[in-house]
Amino acid sequence: MLLSKLKEVWICLKAGRVTLPYPFKPAPPPDGFRGKLEIDKDKCIGCAGCANVCTPRAIVVTDLNHDWRRIDFYLERCTYCGRCEEVCPENAITMTQEFETATDSKEDLHISVELYMGTCGRCGRCFTPAHPLDKLMVTGFRE
Amino acid sequence: MFKNLLHNCFKKSIWVYNTNTGACNGCDIEVINVLTPYYDAERFGIKLVGTPRHADALLVSGPVTRQVVPALKNLYDSVPDPKLVIAIGSCAMGGGIWYNSYNVLGGVDKILPVDFFIPGCPPRPEAILYGVAVALGLVKKKVAPVTLKEESPEKWLKS
Amino acid sequence: MLTGTQLISDLITNFDGQITHLEETAPGKIFITIEPETLTPLADYVMNNLGFRFVVNVGSDEVQLHGNYVISHIFSHDENKLFLCVRVHVDPANPFIDSITPLISGANWAEREARDMVGVHPKNHPDPRRLILADDWPDGVYPLRKDFPYDRKPPSQPKNRVKLKPPPEGAKVVPIGPFFPVLEEPAYFKVFVEGEKIVGCDYRGFYSHRGIEKMGDDVLTYNQICFIAERICGICGFVHSSCYCQAVEEAGGVEVPPRAQYIRTIMLELERIHSHLLWLGIAGHIIGFDTVLMQSWRIREPVMWLCEQITGNRKTYGMNLVGGVRRDIPKELHPKVHETIDKIEKETKALVNAILGDTSLHARLKNVGVLSKADALDKCVVGPVARGSGVNIDSRIDHPYAAYDKLDFKIAVHEEGCCWARTLVRLEELFEAIRIIQQALRDMPEGEIMTHEIEIPPNREAICAVEAPRGEAVHYVLTGSENRPYRWKVRAPTYPNLQAVPPIIKNEEIADVPIAIGSLDPCFSCTERMIVVNNKTDEETWNSQDLIRLSREKTEKIKKMISGKSNHV
Repeated sequence: MLLSKLKEVWICLKAGRVTLPYPFKPAPPPDGFRGKLEIDKDKCIGCAGCANVCTPRAIVVTDLNHDWRRIDFYLERCTYCGRCEEVCPENAITMTQEFETATDSKEDLHISVELYMGTCGRCGRCFTPAHPLDKLMVTGFRE
Repeated sequence: MFKNLLHNCFKKSIWVYNTNTGACNGCDIEVINVLTPYYDAERFGIKLVGTPRHADALLVSGPVTRQVVPALKNLYDSVPDPKLVIAIGSCAMGGGIWYNSYNVLGGVDKILPVDFFIPGCPPRPEAILYGVAVALGLVKKKVAPVTLKEESPEKWLKS
Repeated sequence: MLTGTQLISDLITNFDGQITHLEETAPGKIFITIEPETLTPLADYVMNNLGFRFVVNVGSDEVQLHGNYVISHIFSHDENKLFLCVRVHVDPANPFIDSITPLISGANWAEREARDMVGVHPKNHPDPRRLILADDWPDGVYPLRKDFPYDRKPPSQPKNRVKLKPPPEGAKVVPIGPFFPVLEEPAYFKVFVEGEKIVGCDYRGFYSHRGIEKMGDDVLTYNQICFIAERICGICGFVHSSCYCQAVEEAGGVEVPPRAQYIRTIMLELERIHSHLLWLGIAGHIIGFDTVLMQSWRIREPVMWLCEQITGNRKTYGMNLVGGVRRDIPKELHPKVHETIDKIEKETKALVNAILGDTSLHARLKNVGVLSKADALDKCVVGPVARGSGVNIDSRIDHPYAAYDKLDFKIAVHEEGCCWARTLVRLEELFEAIRIIQQALRDMPEGEIMTHEIEIPPNREAICAVEAPRGEAVHYVLTGSENRPYRWKVRAPTYPNLQAVPPIIKNEEIADVPIAIGSLDPCFSCTERMIVVNNKTDEETWNSQDLIRLSREKTEKIKKMISGKSNHV
């Protein structure tokens, strides 16, 4: 009985002091960590593929009028699954390493992107941005 | 920023009571993780207490389900003033995946006045420590709303 | 040895004319549809003559498909690796069905759930109270019917509060819950005591009911449900998402690449390791050994870091999609995995060596919370609770999935049925899990990790079981149109295990209740159940602080007794 108590004490002493130095030193997460979202508005083409796959339906697409489309990201509901980053055809969404996102107000976590869209001549709905040349300058030439 | 933290070093130590309003347990396990030797919140004086009457802050996780509402209100009333309510995880912030399900009210702020939110699914223990530091006023929060607007093409059209 | 074909011919011989439809959708998975009157004799025959075990009962509104409600009873034969699903059509105008709870008391909750969710009432059920829905949910509103929209919130009707059983003569009532620091989720047990001994208990729960199955049926697509399945439970989330993906893949005939199977196996075993170490810590905390809590959680932390490196998140990995996994475990990471699990093996062995000889732990856990083998079979318990009582069932052997049929491992079974036996089962499983991971890393084949072009046809059924750290988790899927299932049913392992609480705590002392319930390793959010009990005003109320204090005081008393004895010796 005493022997097992001594063994327990030995385990604690052998481990030593293991406390990580956070918050006195930064603690970056490993590569591939799924943190807060970041959107590059120049790459976004407004296809709403991200809104289609978002599991908590936190991405909402509204057509303000026939020229402007707004995409709202309500990140308070975001579950950090990373599907939006995976399906975006233009790699406009990235998941950063940011995890220090505590706040006192939910509005701090809203991202809103407004895009100028071209309109289809037949049905009048928005599609990719009006200037493909501008887009090429951002994304570069690709197959 | 971290040096300031070193100086101030969680001067005000708070006792917290953790409660789960129908969550999956992920956030609660991370809260208990914060007490374990690697993250050790107890060195800052943060202690997990077993009864709300001794608590200064309430850590709430989970989208509030219909059954839990009366019990949660009782719990809030039994915590003595002054008190802080901190909502942990995306379920407590806005209901998470089930925000509009039939049995879920969608976020703790629909029932209680929430002072701080810590997003994540589940948030890392470091993020929880950071969130408590923000709640105690030791660091400033980093996030702000982001609005990105593409330029209107009228400038090319006119030339 | 009974094969699927032999079972089919046996049933046709004995129940000729009463089976309207019969199909073997996959090897070992048989679906039959029978007339309602045949249900009780057939259930009796398969359980008592053929040796099947009752799993769960699925209530489903299939009015859009063929005009009836359907109650499907799922049975499993563990030695012969068979699943049998018995479907009964119920006329919506007369929604009644025979109850099989008098035959097997493990069906108690499943039938009440079908009544709450779809509205099919079980006749002759011994305890037909409301189970799942909130106290103020109005009568006559059944959420899983297709005409109920998933986001409607009906008005409150407070007089529907469930009345719990009154205590027997001379007994006092001790309410435990709903917010209890030891059990992380809200749960309410009403325990009847005479003096210090417990004579009965009642349980009303389901605080964590979030409407997961309704969301799966009505709102989310096949790939989105993988993520919601992961958040059914934060500790065994990967189990639920794997089980769901496997069920859909079986229903749709999707071939999963072998490398993805091995990766799923490795992540499942990593989850088992961290879950058992977590349980060890919580059990230590309940008894008063905070050293065990801190040390076992310290040992467990490297697993979380490893998972963060592989998957991108410490918990809720988000690795599974229908057709495979999203991220690979490349060769560069293999040394890190080996290093982590070898360190955990060494440190856990040292910790276990230290606590196995601790006689005060023996006195606290041996012969406490005993569940006899007969009770275990009657309540249909699963997992370490069953294996601790001598019932040898494990889904990794009985219904092989992922890469388990290619790996070599042992199952731990103990006969005593007490908390100590369950502890030993979990510790042995932990060491086996380490061996499984080492084998899987060595044998993992090269290749793809995801099948991309997937077409899931509608109206196919599938059942799949996965061994979670707490027991067997079973998912049933009926595929539908528009890229989402028609019906998805989750049966978590704690569902039958919680029904075994009354025999476990009977005749124990109040101070032993927390550890007895804790040894079941209850995961309430998996069961989506919470029970609330009201206390009458003239009862002695003991809050959670008192119960923990009692539990720890008993440990102190025992320690003093033991050291007193050793002094005399």
